[in-house]
Order: sequence, then structure tokens, then C-alpha cells
Amino acid sequence: MSLINIFLYEFNHFRKSKAKVIAYLLFLSTCVYALYNGFSLQNKQKTTIDGIEQKIQEGITKVLGWFDEGKTGPEDRPWIDVSTPFWALWHTPTYTIKTPSPLLPLGIGQSEQYGFYKQVSNWSTTYDSDMVEELANPERLINGNIDFAFIILFLMPLLLIVLTYNINGLEKDQGFDRLISIQVGNIQHWLLARSGFYFLLILVTNAVLILTIGILNNAFADFGSEMISLLIVATLYLCFWTIISYFIILKSSGISSQAFTMISVWLLLCVVIPGAVHQYASIRYPANLMTDFLEVNRKEAYSVFEVSSDTLAQKLKAIYPQLANTKNGQDSISDESIVQHTVSALINEMNKFAVYNIESLNDEKNQLIATSYWFNPVSFFQNKWNNITATDYNAYKKYRSEVQKDIDNKMELLVIECWDKKKVDKITYQTYLERLK
Amino acid sequence: MKDIFINEWRGFVRNQLFFVLSILFTGSLAVVTYLGIVQNKTQIEIHHDAHRHIRSQWDEMKPTNPHGAAHFGSYAFKPNTVLNGIDEGITSVTGNVLRLEGHAQNDLVYSEASQSLLISRFGKLKPALLFQFIIPLFLIFLAFNTYTKERESGRIKLLLSQGTSLQKILLAKILSVWMIGVLLLLFAIFIQIIFNNQGINAETFLRLFTLSLSYALYYLIITTLTVLLSVQFSSSSASLTFAIAVWVLWTIFLPKIAGNAVEQLSPLPTRVEFKKAMETDRSKGIDGHNPSGDREKELEKTTLAKYKVDSLSQLPINFDGLVMQADEEYGNSVWDKHFGQLYEQLLSQKRNYQLSGIINPFASLQNLSMGSAGTDMIHHLDFLKQAELYRRAFIKILNDKHAYGGSKTGEWEWKADNDFFRSVKDFEYSTTSFANLWTKYLIDIVVLAFWVILLFTLILYSSKRVSLL
Repeated sequence: MSLINIFLYEFNHFRKSKAKVIAYLLFLSTCVYALYNGFSLQNKQKTTIDGIEQKIQEGITKVLGWFDEGKTGPEDRPWIDVSTPFWALWHTPTYTIKTPSPLLPLGIGQSEQYGFYKQVSNWSTTYDSDMVEELANPERLINGNIDFAFIILFLMPLLLIVLTYNINGLEKDQGFDRLISIQVGNIQHWLLARSGFYFLLILVTNAVLILTIGILNNAFADFGSEMISLLIVATLYLCFWTIISYFIILKSSGISSQAFTMISVWLLLCVVIPGAVHQYASIRYPANLMTDFLEVNRKEAYSVFEVSSDTLAQKLKAIYPQLANTKNGQDSISDESIVQHTVSALINEMNKFAVYNIESLNDEKNQLIATSYWFNPVSFFQNKWNNITATDYNAYKKYRSEVQKDIDNKMELLVIECWDKKKVDKITYQTYLERLK
Repeated sequence: MKDIFINEWRGFVRNQLFFVLSILFTGSLAVVTYLGIVQNKTQIEIHHDAHRHIRSQWDEMKPTNPHGAAHFGSYAFKPNTVLNGIDEGITSVTGNVLRLEGHAQNDLVYSEASQSLLISRFGKLKPALLFQFIIPLFLIFLAFNTYTKERESGRIKLLLSQGTSLQKILLAKILSVWMIGVLLLLFAIFIQIIFNNQGINAETFLRLFTLSLSYALYYLIITTLTVLLSVQFSSSSASLTFAIAVWVLWTIFLPKIAGNAVEQLSPLPTRVEFKKAMETDRSKGIDGHNPSGDREKELEKTTLAKYKVDSLSQLPINFDGLVMQADEEYGNSVWDKHFGQLYEQLLSQKRNYQLSGIINPFASLQNLSMGSAGTDMIHHLDFLKQAELYRRAFIKILNDKHAYGGSKTGEWEWKADNDFFRSVKDFEYSTTSFANLWTKYLIDIVVLAFWVILLFTLILYSSKRVSLL
């Protein structure tokens, strides 16, 4: 019997097996449901971002209105004067937004653990409490979302088990495995062809779903290489499980032991090993309560206000050497109010140092996780997948660094403009808007 | 029945594979439970250090204006419960640090899950993971052919001919397999008590009892269902396949589907919407007719009348302190309204999820496991509420000092001494007694009991109808 015939027989077997067809259809409907979840999250994030952009516009219109009407701020807050750089920049809405990737419907990853928008103010840091995740039910979060990545990483191997659990086992249970050996000659080829059918079935299903989402979300233009990477990762992962299931089938002594071995291997690779690595990583690197950061954010920040203006001015000049050329920098006595208005730039530097230490510690933990990949393949594929869909820790670390860049830009502008004692008019304000866009 | 039970156990003990697996399980459970305790103790120690550090900063505060101190604020660290080592529940996804300050009610931040790459979608390898995922599978493996094997070998007829009823045979088989799960469970609890005896009290025992009871009931469900399938299906492989399918459905698939469904049934607002609604109420007044400026004028009028003076400068107290406290109290009512609704919505989602136990007893088990370990949402919200109550009392003390401590209106440079700051009590979270919370978990216990009764009824029914030929 040729391989192609075995392959076709397997198609017939699949077609006639109600349980397998139902399992496959269930898998397909779960895929659709997972994609719907992904799209829902993407749309929710987009709606939130639209709302923020509208809020930004409203804020800008309000301030521009003050300039047009010759006002310096709202009437009930006379201390606000937008003709000074401090208040003008205070009223320059600056947001750093992480726009969801078009690939988000294919993998939510860790996106529900982080915030995706941040209003940058004079006192912002990358670990502010407004950087937290959206409101969500924490018990739902621990169970996790059914997203497409979950389907590929955890349910696809289960589908493969359902589709292949009785190959060879059934023949052994019924005692005609030797007959098959005689008929097909090489039992390994026979098993390969039968397993190959399910491999191809799942491969095509995955490819069709991934490509459909790519088309629906217009991801091919800008994310073509990422789409191809996802296809490669999905295929390699499928190959990995097919090889495992092939060897279990080959060594089978009957359906029961085969099914049990398969589910045990799934449990080991998907639950036990990642869980053990997770626990080990937690023992080596317990949850960080960020006391160093809190120290800077609170005690050290407050102690800055006890330092004399001259000392603060010197410290600011050390960070921004160009201050020496500003009006205030050239004055023999530094203007105390200007220094007080720009002291946030000093605290920003202190925060950056504290954040650097936190990020370094997190990187060490990630390094530890990465070293487990050789015996923890599911986590490897999972993080690879999340990396491609820009929903992993690193994607949000990159986002945090963008937030920091925006804080730095705002601080630099604030310090230079305040020290240069600029008079802000509508055009200058628009320049601020452009620079902090 | 007793003889069948003993005979079953003899069979288990003589089976080499069972012996090896049992040793493997017992060893794994001991190691996993011990490591869970180690990890939990480390985290508790870190929590204590952080708490002490932050408090020492407060105690060392130089003479400061009380309102400045309110901005300096404090931090509440969400503590790990003693039983977190068994089931960490939602601990890793919720934040650990809450900033307590004047004017603002902050979010709990810095969750463990946000501090690294994703590792496991099913949580850390703690005893709960073994109890919930692996032991049930082990029980399925032991029970799937318990009846078919007897039928295929013809031994069932022999047993019946000796005068035993089929019901008793099945019951003995169920109990013998169930007992293995219970022994493994008790072994892990024993390790927990031995290596984690500090802080173990009557409350912990009550929680451990509930935890053990819920797992024992779940194992009874799993075992009875597997034996039922063994009775219903003609072959062992069919019963095993079906039992594994149910296991996958219950533990992997349905919890996520149900979790998503309850959140979609009553969707939570986005953070932007939530914040905007709070800001609106804060500035305009909850009913929209009491703007903050009007409230301040009203307070000024009342205070001047109370002290029988004409201007704020004549007041023997600092009016600014009163304004800030009034603003706090107003802010608290806004918080109560919005967070009250949010917490109620979260609890309603939980109740709906608990109902999913009717089709998936694993959901009930999860709830009871987290609940008895003190790591579920009910305990989490309790921590947040206690922290908020503390924040209110903390800020009130500071505002009262500002108002009545000896300064006059407008004296923002006035400072309270260090003794005053040291006298402010620290936040100490005490987990609410489980005895006060048990009604919240009643539905889970009822659902598990319902499943046990249902499956026992079905097995009794099947034993009467099953053909022995």
C-alpha cells in the first residue's frame, strides 16, 4: 500500500469518525472565539486611544482659546499663567501611547498586565500608578483569556492527541497490528503517513486562520515578516508535537496507555515544567516591592526640596550643560522660582536611576527564564509568539523606554525654556505641541 | 464492601506501576509543598522588610507641615497569607503596593506578572497545581478500568455470586481510589503544617479543613465519574478517552470560557471612563448640583457661625485643615459610589462564575481553594477596603492636626513635631476571619455536594440497569 493511499484512507477514517470531526470543529469554533476575543481587546484599546486623542484635542483647544482671548489661564485659578513656559508646558497634553499591533488578535500575550497609554507630566515616571493594566477581574486574569496563542500553544497539541490517540493503539488492542505489518511492509511509514495527514490538516488550518487575520487586519503591508514568522513558529511547534506523538504512537502498547502517555506528556510540557520554572524563578527573584523606587519617589524626592536653590541650580547645570547659556544661567544669582519650577528634572534623573535597577533585575529574571527554554519548549514558543505580536514583557519595556524618552524631552524643554525666561505666545505654544507630539 | 476495599488496595500495592507513581507523587508533593513554603516565606520576609523600611521613614520624619506629610503619604504592601504557599490564587496578577496619600486613592501596583516574561499559563508549580491538574488525572488513570477490567476478566460474576451487590462493589472501588487522592492531599497538608508551623492557628486550621474538604469532594466527583464511565462504556479505552476529555474540558477549557463569559455579561468600564466619571463627581458633586466651590463657601459660613467670628483670620483654628478634610470626606463618598459599584460588579461576576460550577465542578474547586487559602478576589477586595479605611483615618489625623494643632488659617509653614508623626498608627492588615466569609463560598460547597449526589445517584441507577453478560 503506497503512502498516498494510506494518507487517503486516513482522510476517510477521519471523515467517518464522529468524535474526531467534532473535536476538529470544536477546535475551529474555539479559534473563531479566540480571534473574536483578540479583536475585542484590540477594538477596546483603539476606542480608549480615540477617547484620549479627543481629550488631548479638547485640552489644546482650551489653551489656544486662552491665547486668542488674551487670558493667561482659567478664571478660577489666577495663579496659572500660560505665558510662562512652566504653565504652558503644564498645559501641553503629552501622551505616550502603545498602539495595538495588527497582530494582537493572534495573541493577547501579556497585554492585559500593562497599561498602554500614559500622560506625561513634570513628575511622571515609567512606574507610575497610572501605568497599570485596565480594570479587569483578577480571577479571570489568572485563568487567562482564550486567545489565538493559547489555542496554538495549548489546545492544538490536545487536538493532535484527540486525532492520533488511537493510531496503532487500536490495531494493537484488536490484535491485527501484525496484519498491517504484512500489508504495508514498513509500519513506520504507515504511522508516518497516518500522522502526516493530521499534521497537514492542522498545518493548513493554522495557516488559513493566521493568513485570514492578516488580510482582515491589513497586517501584510507593514507586518509581512512578522506574519511569516508566526507561520514558521506555528509550523515548528506543530512539528515538535507531531514528532512527540509519532514516537508515542510508535511505542504504543494499546489505546489506553497511548492516550494516557500523550496526556501526561502534554501535562508535563504545558503545565508542570513551566510551573516548576515559574516557581523556581519566583524563589530566585521574588516579586519586587520596588522599595528602592519608592525611596526615590518619596523620601529622596522630598529631600530635594530641602536643598538650597544654588545647589539645585548647579545640579541642573550638570545635567543640562546648555543651561549656562540661558538668561538665568548667566545671572549671577539664580532665580529661585525658576529653579523650583524645574526641580522635577532632577527628580526625573533620580527616578531613571532607580528604574534602571528595577529593569536590570527584571532582565536578570528574564535571562533565567530564557535559560530554561532548552527543557521548557512551550514557554519558548509562547514568548516567541508574544514577541512577534508585540505583547510580551519586552514590547512593554520598549514602550516604557518611549515613555521615558517623552519625559526626558518634556523635562529638557521645560528646563531650557524656563531658564531662558521665555515669554510664551500662541506660536510658541504650538511649537511646544509639535515638539512634544 | 470492606473486603472489596481492602482487596482493591492490595491490588494497588502489588501493582508496580502504581507503586512507582505513588512514590513519584508523594515525593513531588513533598518537594513542591516545601518549595511553596520557602517561596512564600521569602515573599513574606520581603514584605516585612519593605513595610519596616517605609514605616521607619515615616517615624524619622523631621518637623513637617501635616498637609505636606499627607502628600508624603505611606504605602500599604499586600501581604501573602500563610496558605499562599499552597494556592497563590490571584496574588501574582494583582499589584502588591498601594500608595496611601491625601487627595487621591491610588491603584495597587507592581504585580509579579508584570515583572517578567510570561512563564506558565497555569501558574506556579505549587501544591494547588498538583491537586487540581495532576492528582485528578492520576485518579482517572486508577479508576478508568476498575469496572471494565472486572467485567472483561469475569471476576464481577464471581463477586456477585458471593452475595455482594453491584452497588457495594462500585462503592468500594470508588472509595478505594478516592482514598488515594485524599491520602496524597492529607500528606501535602501535613507537610504544610510541619514546615510552616509559625502562624498556624485555629483560623488556619479552619481554612485547611475547608481546603481539604473541597478537594476531597472534587476527587470523589472525579473518581465516581470515571467509575460511572467505566460502567457505561463497553471498553476501557473508551471510558479512559471520555474521562480525559471531561478532564480537559473541565480544567483547561471551561474555566477560561466561563471567565470570559461572565466578564462579557457585565463588562467593566475602561480606566479612562472610570476615572472621568470619578473626576466629574469630584468636581461637580455627585448629584451634579453641588460644585466644590459652593461646598467650600458653605463650610466657611458654618465654621464662622460656629466660632461666632466674622472672618477666617479670626478663627482660633486653621480653616485650611477643615477644608481639606471636607474635601477628603467628599472624595470618600465619590470613592464609595464608584469603587462600591466596581467592587459590586466584580463580586457579581464572581457569583456568576461560581454558578458555572453547575456544569464545571472544577470552577467550584478553584473558588474554594483560593478562598480558603485567602488568595481570591474576596480577600483581595477586603485588603483594598481595609487599606482605604486606614488611608481615610490616616489623612483625617493629619488634617485634624492641621486644623486644630495650633496653627491659624493660611499658616502653611506651620509644622507638627516628630512625636506627632510617630504617634500615627501604622497600617496592619488582618485577614478577615474565614468564619465571617464562609457564606460567600456556600454556593461552591453546595455545587460540589450536588455533583457528588448526582453522580452517586447515577451510579446507583446504572448499577441496577447494567447488563453483566
